[in-house]
Amino acid sequence: MSAIPRRIVKETKNLIKDPVPGIKTSIPDDDNLRYLTVEMEGPDNSPFAGGVFNLELYLPEEYPMEPPKIRFLTPLYHPNIDKLGRICLDVLKDHWSPAFQIRTVLLSIQQLLGTPNPDDPLLSDVADLCKNDNAKYCEVAKEWTKKYAIPSPKD
Amino acid sequence: MAIPRSFRLLEELEKGEKGGSQACSYGLADGEDVTMTNWNGTILGAPNSVHANRIYSVEIVCDNTYPDKPPKVRFTSKINLDCVDQTTGDIIIEKFNTMNNWKRSTTIEDVLLDLRKEMITPVNKALPQPKEGSTF
Repeated sequence: MSAIPRRIVKETKNLIKDPVPGIKTSIPDDDNLRYLTVEMEGPDNSPFAGGVFNLELYLPEEYPMEPPKIRFLTPLYHPNIDKLGRICLDVLKDHWSPAFQIRTVLLSIQQLLGTPNPDDPLLSDVADLCKNDNAKYCEVAKEWTKKYAIPSPKD
Repeated sequence: MAIPRSFRLLEELEKGEKGGSQACSYGLADGEDVTMTNWNGTILGAPNSVHANRIYSVEIVCDNTYPDKPPKVRFTSKINLDCVDQTTGDIIIEKFNTMNNWKRSTTIEDVLLDLRKEMITPVNKALPQPKEGSTF
């Protein structure tokens, strides 16, 4: 096993010490600094507002030459996020640059929630609804948010 | 610091979706199963053998111990191999080296391709085979 590169140590430390507003990052296993869990608040003025969405993130051996691997664990209704939580986003694919950071990726994903891209969809049925009947799309997305992502009140 | 189960399985799924190998195919049994536990696979029978042109179906279960431990694999198509339980279709791990000496880097695809190689090992080559298309 190779040692964790300084860049990863620095980035993850910073993320935890100085988090992006609305995005909480944790390292569930101190023995594996490449694996992070994320709690992301849905952006205001989006059907995901009020929801908290869980994600998991893994920094492959090749990081930062390769992008982080990340997926949603909380279901959401979005044309660019499939049922396994996989995310279709250019910075996670061919628009990745080693100059980006985990922080950049998390912000882009949060932004994607508020501004779906139905012209490059992962789920064509959701994309069709998003484009042709946006009000209905927002309604379904809100329902899903309420069902899966609004923390139930603690008893 | 090894790749976690979920991302490992996502990688395998992606390769499978792109049609990883010509000799086998595999994918999630339920495309919406976020735990990615149950998989279906097919193996094209080994060429130059009684298995040539046959297509065998298998079920693969990757529980929480995968890939630290091997998946559970079962033939649903009937096949007569030394490492296949002839009543249930289950792989008998002790008789299948790839799973018996499991390495974390071994993938579902490796398992399927190695099962294909089993079809033409000396111990299996001469075994009589059930009628094509029968199931366990």
